[in-house]
Amino acid sequence: MNFDLDQDQLDAAAGARQFFAGLASPAQARAALEGGPLAPGRQALADIGFLGITVPEAHGGAGGSLLDLAVVAEQAGAVLAGPSLVTAARAAVLLADQPELAAALADGSRAFCVVDGSAPALDAVGADTFLALVDGALVVAGGDVATGQPMDATRGLGVVTLTGPRVLVPDAAALWARARDVALVALAAEDLGTAGKAVEVGVAYAKDRHAFGRAIGSYQAVKHSLVDAWVGVEQLRSLVWWSAWAADAAPDELPLAAASAKAFAAEVLERAAETCIQVHGGTGFTWEHDAHLYWRRAKVDRLLLGDAAEHHDVVAGLVLAGALA
Amino acid sequence: MDFDDTPDEAAYRARVRALLAEHAAELVHLDAGEEAADPRDQELALRRTQRVLAEAGLVGVAWAAEHGGQGGSLAQQAIIGQELARAKVPSLINHIGIGMCGPTVIAHGTPDQHERYLARLLRADDVWCQLFSEPASGSDLAALRTTAVRDGEDWVVNGQKVWTTLAHVSDFGILLTRTDPDRPKHAGLTMFVVDMHAPGVTVRPLRQMGGQSDFNEVFFDDVRIPDSERLGEPGEGWRVALTTLLNERVAVGGGGNDLGLSVESLARLAATKLPVLPADRQVLARQAVGRAAVAALANRYTGYRRLTAISQGGLPGPEASAGKLAGTAAAKLVADAGVRLLGDDAVFAVGTGDDEAGRWQRNQAWLPGIAIAGGTDEVLRNIIGERVLGLPPEPREDKHRPFNAGRQA
Repeated sequence: MNFDLDQDQLDAAAGARQFFAGLASPAQARAALEGGPLAPGRQALADIGFLGITVPEAHGGAGGSLLDLAVVAEQAGAVLAGPSLVTAARAAVLLADQPELAAALADGSRAFCVVDGSAPALDAVGADTFLALVDGALVVAGGDVATGQPMDATRGLGVVTLTGPRVLVPDAAALWARARDVALVALAAEDLGTAGKAVEVGVAYAKDRHAFGRAIGSYQAVKHSLVDAWVGVEQLRSLVWWSAWAADAAPDELPLAAASAKAFAAEVLERAAETCIQVHGGTGFTWEHDAHLYWRRAKVDRLLLGDAAEHHDVVAGLVLAGALA
Repeated sequence: MDFDDTPDEAAYRARVRALLAEHAAELVHLDAGEEAADPRDQELALRRTQRVLAEAGLVGVAWAAEHGGQGGSLAQQAIIGQELARAKVPSLINHIGIGMCGPTVIAHGTPDQHERYLARLLRADDVWCQLFSEPASGSDLAALRTTAVRDGEDWVVNGQKVWTTLAHVSDFGILLTRTDPDRPKHAGLTMFVVDMHAPGVTVRPLRQMGGQSDFNEVFFDDVRIPDSERLGEPGEGWRVALTTLLNERVAVGGGGNDLGLSVESLARLAATKLPVLPADRQVLARQAVGRAAVAALANRYTGYRRLTAISQGGLPGPEASAGKLAGTAAAKLVADAGVRLLGDDAVFAVGTGDDEAGRWQRNQAWLPGIAIAGGTDEVLRNIIGERVLGLPPEPREDKHRPFNAGRQA
């Protein structure tokens, strides 16, 4: 039994934390709500190699595992970075046999977006290359993107109308399903980082803020709600690691693990973000404070790629079919 | 990252599995939560089971050889626990003795006490209990009132303990008493080994909400304990008790095993019950099953992280408290989904039946106790909040004043 990150992954996480600290922040997520650019942005992510973590070396990537990507995605989530590594992870699976497109993903020369029918697509804003499943075939296409007032501008959400689709893989249902599961894992990993950060910010404030002559974190009502949020984060970490590991090492377990991770992530992040606001009192409700930026991410991510109810149903179906036997 | 045994662990597991197969006919085999009809038969069968396992070298493996153990690791201990569960052998009758009392005797007892108690404890020749909680001191253990007063070579004990698991079948217990009420509450305590068959010890079983009697009230009326049965110095009882509580965390914080009926049990129940529900009810039942399964898996894989730490030689820290907290919550989701799948049978099932409905009801009625025993959910949240997250402690106004003053205030 060795269910822990190895030294390379710990080093990668530390490196990613350092990289993102200089280039992305809740302040930039706030600015994005008023039209500012995504931070750190696609080219910076490509240059540091994060868009190609799971792209094979022969196609210009790092040839890493999904777990390698997940530890970086956690750090991206902690600072609300954009665009999302979910798109990179998912596209890398879909482009496994498309060397030129995979290379363009890794080096950032194309801006990818993966489209699920008419659902709002992640990283659609500014994308120039769209991947979709049309009549059972994987296609690459151009697209017209309709955006609204984004709740979380770092997600680049838009509804995409494909233009000029070209078939890449004719019979792609299984490939598409695997890529979607990988996307669930990467999304859960980003949510893990955001949730952990929201709890950290709440804990720091609870130590500092005094009321009735004591730090508010000494009151059980405040302490226990932060603890419950923290316990959720640590349990989510286990599901993220398991599902990311399964993607490469135990593909049969991936559907159960990925659906579990996504369902759990939706609720853990929502709880962490709401707790962060509540602990801050009125300050947490202001535009200037970061708390609502974590909350925006929570309220959007919980609906992306299927909500908790959808994934609980998937888990139930797999369990009834003997997935735990 | 992997979920495989190391070569050494795999070899050890194979050995354990072979030993369990070899002795299968001599061991009690029950589904988790099942009990024999007659409690006395059950007790004798469980004592016999532990003796067989002890003679096979499978009890107290992490204890030093000089204390009757195998000088093995906590990882080996965890493997044995997994293999016993796999073989459907119930918890060892002396699990409290092995997990908590024995390590306390080892750490604070005299060579003479080691000699007299430890080997017999491992064989379940003697069953042990832990006499800590009292009617007026549960979570606030250091507020306990049972007194021990020195009288010649003996101490004379008066008072009452409660929630004492296994006291009704125990031969010995570790007993935390107040020996100096003039000192602050943590400083006036002393620990003893008490003979549960001594004159003046009265054990009265308590009936739990589910109908069973696993724990007891224990009364001490002028019970004489020789000074040679003291564990640690007079006034050092709190430090001795912390040894017990640390070992409790090691004993219960390790595995990530499901508390109560497993999610696999829920899957089997759902496979028969769910497809016959009307379609709209199936949708709701699938939500409950899915949510329970996710919670159970999250807790199980978090347990694997603790097992990894143990396997690498670490000890579970205060974060292990999170395992019981989350495990209890997951177990309640599993139990609730299971009971609801019973449909109309659920309201008629009694917690003593051997049928499936009875099993799920008994499980449901057992779980509220799990949220209290061994640290309530609230105490566990305080531990995590203060020792893991570093939040400031609760005000503890009575911590530094003499215990007597606290009682009068």
